[in-house]
Amino acid sequence: MSKVFLGIDVGSVSTNVIALDHNYELLFNYYARTSGQPIESIKTGLEKFHSQYPDLIVAGVGTTGSGRQLAGVMVGADVVKNEITAHAVATTHFHPEVRTIFEIGGQDSKIILLKDGIVVDFAMNTVCAAGTGSFLDHQAERMKIPIEKFGEMALKSKNEVRIAGRCTVFAESDMIAKQQYGFTKEDIINGLCQALVRNYINNVGRGKKLEPPFAFQGGVAANVGIRAAFEKEIKHKVIIPKYFGVMGAIGAAILAREKIEKSQEKTTFRGFGALQTEFVPKSFTCNGCSNSCEVIRVTAGGKTIAVWGDRCGTWKEKMKQSLSEAI
Amino acid sequence: MKISFPYMGTVLVYKKLLQLLGHEVIIPPRPTKRTIDLGVKYSPEFACFPFKVIMGTYIEACEMGVDTIVSSGGFGPCRAGFYGEIHRRILKSLGYDIDLIILDQPLQDKNFLKKVKFLKGNNSWLDVIKAVKFTYRLIQEIDRFEKEIYRLMPYETEPGQAKKAWNSIQAEFDQAIDQAGLERAKERSLDILKSIKVHEIPEKDKIRIGIVGEIYVVMEPSINMDMEELLCKLGCEVERSQYLSEWVDHNLLPNIFKKSRDAMFIEKGKPYIGRAIGGHAQQSVGAIVDFKDRNFDGIIHLMPFACLPELISQSIIPRISKEHNIPVLTLAIDEQTGQTNALTRIEAFIDLVRNKKASVNIA
Ligand code: SF4
Ligand code: SF4
Repeated sequence: MSKVFLGIDVGSVSTNVIALDHNYELLFNYYARTSGQPIESIKTGLEKFHSQYPDLIVAGVGTTGSGRQLAGVMVGADVVKNEITAHAVATTHFHPEVRTIFEIGGQDSKIILLKDGIVVDFAMNTVCAAGTGSFLDHQAERMKIPIEKFGEMALKSKNEVRIAGRCTVFAESDMIAKQQYGFTKEDIINGLCQALVRNYINNVGRGKKLEPPFAFQGGVAANVGIRAAFEKEIKHKVIIPKYFGVMGAIGAAILAREKIEKSQEKTTFRGFGALQTEFVPKSFTCNGCSNSCEVIRVTAGGKTIAVWGDRCGTWKEKMKQSLSEAI
Repeated sequence: MKISFPYMGTVLVYKKLLQLLGHEVIIPPRPTKRTIDLGVKYSPEFACFPFKVIMGTYIEACEMGVDTIVSSGGFGPCRAGFYGEIHRRILKSLGYDIDLIILDQPLQDKNFLKKVKFLKGNNSWLDVIKAVKFTYRLIQEIDRFEKEIYRLMPYETEPGQAKKAWNSIQAEFDQAIDQAGLERAKERSLDILKSIKVHEIPEKDKIRIGIVGEIYVVMEPSINMDMEELLCKLGCEVERSQYLSEWVDHNLLPNIFKKSRDAMFIEKGKPYIGRAIGGHAQQSVGAIVDFKDRNFDGIIHLMPFACLPELISQSIIPRISKEHNIPVLTLAIDEQTGQTNALTRIEAFIDLVRNKKASVNIA
């Protein structure tokens, strides 16, 4: 029976569940919009995998993304890793020569600089939407063009249009103005792609020396218009890793594999049966002091198994006590 | 007279000094979300983040019936110099007509003596000197133990042990009121320290992180995500660029006997920031160089939102980081701090530092 390693990436916009086989090939890939229901998405993803490959043995699981902790306790992850490290690990596995990673996802974007396969610097943008996929989604919707066609249309542009603006609001108003001048949709979309890349490199990569070889990944890497805009902006070829959309999850799976192989221990994966247990995250405002912490408590089958957000640690302590009493 | 002070770091020492002088002391509450909300609400929008938190602390202290607040002033071109006055006016407009005594560096403050006399009250000068001397020793001891705690915490076998030990140590010192008491507290604290069980980690695998930046955000855990503890939990030993005893060394004592750590930082920072630009920018850059000289593996630079001096140091840091080959992560601290995204960056940074060290170990 063959073994696989699972990777789970829970972001605020989307959740990915992937399985890597022994040769680091992507065997299974599940994508869902998180829509505030990460637990449901993870569950569905794992169930789909299990029904598709009932005989495969899960030898390890890694989680990443902003919901990595929640996902970690839920599945019993061997590794819970931040998304910057996870992305870097995945890219260097497939393209060890890469020195700069551009990653643009739905809700955030990053730049990771590497040297000899080791991260030496990074930057992350989470505040400004102008450099993320949701900006493109929004504009596509506004122009009534399916987002899948966006990239191709950009490539058909014949005239250079410069869309000004460092932020979404300005870019949008400038775009409307340019539309009124009579530029074609193709030209405008192309200008938009270039504006996004320019903003991204100026904001996220500010002050950083970006060295080739470059890799471009994240959901937005599917967009050929953006790819072209990147190559134009940095005047260099850009590598698109073959699993560009799920690199975070792949990185988590690779890290889980490394850990298991190094420690020779068994995975802590709870198994598929455990998915039947009901995981309920509940958040409440603690009024123990005027910090008024937003505490998140996850229960499984009625028992608290994880707590976050209590700044003083009282709730974590309470959980530990009740768990040790239960044993 | 009910007297209070801004909340920063190990507050028991301020309390001690004022109590020894016979004042009725009210310890302000540790800054919480409410403190910050109050501070943000009643401060000018352009004010730097420490100003706002301290504003909130003062308001909460006033609510507790305080009528006098003692604080340290700012110096140099940084706006901190005006802050005492603005705080006082805002409090007044809120209906709290209190005395705000700002102690500046003795040599630069013409009114220093007058202020000290006010605090002296009916004590003899000899008593004042005794109290000050005692408190000074107290801070030195406490700082020494605090450093030890954050060196051990990353390796504790049972999570939470070191933190508990640190609380007991503070309680021990809180009881001391004279030299003999201090010695007793010291002995007991040494025992407490020894009771912390730690994993043995080979020297080459130890990760040491220095925290540098503006004094308030460096020293006050309640507003900096409990940075020291957080880093310890990620397995790193931690030391700060600022400790209270060193601040006293540098600002209140004449530097005849020995060179303060701050003076040394400023010296080491000279090639990058040659003159005082206010705040702690010179110390920040110098401390990075010093931590590297002492073989630390990485630096967390804490910069309060809207702090001009640290904005300048931030712009110079990439060069220092390169020239001295030490990774630095700058984090801006404001009322939003503490969200997942800051945590992600810190975790990724520690991975970076660890991998860098491992690759050097191999080579
Ligand atoms: S969890 Fe702790 S810090 Fe947060 S509100 Fe409750 S008592 Fe206060
Ligand atoms: S050093 Fe920065 S944070 Fe501190 S008072 Fe000056 S401007 Fe404000």
